[in-house]
Amino acid sequence: QYTIFVEEHCLTRQSPWSNTVLTLHTSAPLRAEPKKKKKVDPKREHVARERLKKRLKKLEKVPPELIPIEDFITPTKCLDEARGRSEPRLPFEESERRALLLKEWSRFKHAQHTAEMEAINLALDAQREALEELKIESEELYKAAIKPDPLVFPFSHEGPCYTPPKPKYDAPDGKYHDITKVYTQ
Amino acid sequence: MTPLFPLLNSSAARTCGRGKMSAPVVKMAGRCFYQLYKLSNSAGRLASGKTGIRQFSGAVVKNAAEPWRLLGAACVQRLAVISADQRPLEAKFSELMNQMELERSLMSDHELRLLDDKERLRRRQAVDYDSDEEEEADRDQDIVLTQDLEDAWEQRLKGFATQPRARGVVDARLERADRCLAEPLLLLTQQEVGPERLWMLPQTPWEAGETLKTTAQRALSATPGLDLQTVFLGNAPCGLYKYRMPRSVRDREGLTGVKVFFFKAVVSGPLPPPAPSSLWVRQSELKDYLKPSYLEKIRPFLLNL
Repeated sequence: QYTIFVEEHCLTRQSPWSNTVLTLHTSAPLRAEPKKKKKVDPKREHVARERLKKRLKKLEKVPPELIPIEDFITPTKCLDEARGRSEPRLPFEESERRALLLKEWSRFKHAQHTAEMEAINLALDAQREALEELKIESEELYKAAIKPDPLVFPFSHEGPCYTPPKPKYDAPDGKYHDITKVYTQ
Repeated sequence: MTPLFPLLNSSAARTCGRGKMSAPVVKMAGRCFYQLYKLSNSAGRLASGKTGIRQFSGAVVKNAAEPWRLLGAACVQRLAVISADQRPLEAKFSELMNQMELERSLMSDHELRLLDDKERLRRRQAVDYDSDEEEEADRDQDIVLTQDLEDAWEQRLKGFATQPRARGVVDARLERADRCLAEPLLLLTQQEVGPERLWMLPQTPWEAGETLKTTAQRALSATPGLDLQTVFLGNAPCGLYKYRMPRSVRDREGLTGVKVFFFKAVVSGPLPPPAPSSLWVRQSELKDYLKPSYLEKIRPFLLNL
C-alpha cells in the first residue's frame, strides 16, 4: 500500500504514465523534497497537444455550409401537375383588344413619365432661381439655406388608402405565428 | 397644351426681371434685356459710389444701393388621404392584368378544394350513387363545404362598415381641411398687401437674425386660429416671387421691390379644424383666388400631377 500525495499544481488525472512514474514509496522524507519530473515528459505532452491542435485545425478548414436562399427553391407544391389550368383559347377579337389596350397603356404611361420629368425640371429651375436671387441678396442667408436639414430625415408619411380613416377606430391586434427559418453558421 | 409654352412663359418672366409682365417675350430678347439691366445697375452703383457691403444687424446684405424687402412664405400642402378614382383606361388595364395573371397562374389549395367539392357533389347526385363505394375519409367531409366558408367570409367583410369615399357636402366647403381627400390641397390665407386684401400663401417680412425658413414658420404660426403640425422639407426655398415697387414708393421709401421666398411644407398629424381667413384649395381652383402673375411663379413647385 502506498499513499500518493499530489501537489496543487499537478494534474490529478490517473494517466497511464503515472503508474510507472509514481509507483514510489512516498514517505515523510520524500514528501519534503520537490517532485522530480523527467524533462522528456512535459515535452512529449506538449508535442502531443500540438498534434491534436493541428488535426482540429484541419477539420475546421472545411468551408461552412451555404445558407439556402428560400426564394430560389421552387416548392414541390408548385410542380404538381394537377394544379395547372387549361390553356384558354382566346378568340381573335379578344387577342386584338388586348394588344391594342397594351399599346394604348404604354403610350399613356410614356406621356405620364415625360410630364413628370418636365414638372420636376421646372421645379428645380424655380428652386435654382430662388437660390440665385437669395445669393444676390445675402450670403449668410444663402449659406443657411444651402445647409442640409438633419431633422427632415427619417421622413415618413402615410400614403393614400382606398377609404378614408374611421374616426376613433380601434384596430384589433392580429395574431401571427412566425415560422421563418433562421440559419446559423 | 404643348410642353414648350409654360417653359417660355416662366423663363421670359424670369429674365425680364419684372413680375407684372404677362406677354410672352422671346427668350433671347428677354435675356439680352436682363443683361443690359444688370450692366446699367452696376454702372449706376459705381457712379454713385455706394459700392460694397454694408452690415445690417447680423446678416450681410449686398445691393445696399438697391434694397429689396425680403419675405418668407410657407407653401403648405395637405397631401391626398385616399386614392383617386381610376381613369377608364386605368380601370380597363387593371382588369386585363388581373385576367392575364389568373390565366397564367396555378390553382391554389382553396381552388382545388372547391373542385373536389364539386366533384363529390356531382358523384353524389349521379343516378348510380353507392355510398359504400365512397372512400372512408371523404364520407365525413360533407360537413363544411368550401362554398359555405366563402359565404361566411363575405358576410364578415360586409359586416365591416367603411367610411364613404365620395362626400359631396364636405367637398364644397373650402375652409375644411378634410375636403377632397383624393387630391392634394394648398393652404391660402388673406393678407393685406398695400391698400387691398388678397388671397395668397401665408407670408411675413423677414427680421434680422433669423433664417428665411424660420420666417416662413413664423408666417404659418401667425395665421389666426390655425393649429397645424407640419414638416418643412429642407432649408432651401423652393421658389421666388418678386415685384418692383412703383416709382413713387421707390423714391419715397427707397425700396426697389419685394422678394418673396417660398418654403415647402407638408401637413403631418391630424387634420386641423376650419380657421377664419384660411382656405384649402385644389390646384384647379387656384386661378379663382390668386393673381395670374403670382400663380405663374407658384405653379412650377406645386407638382400636382
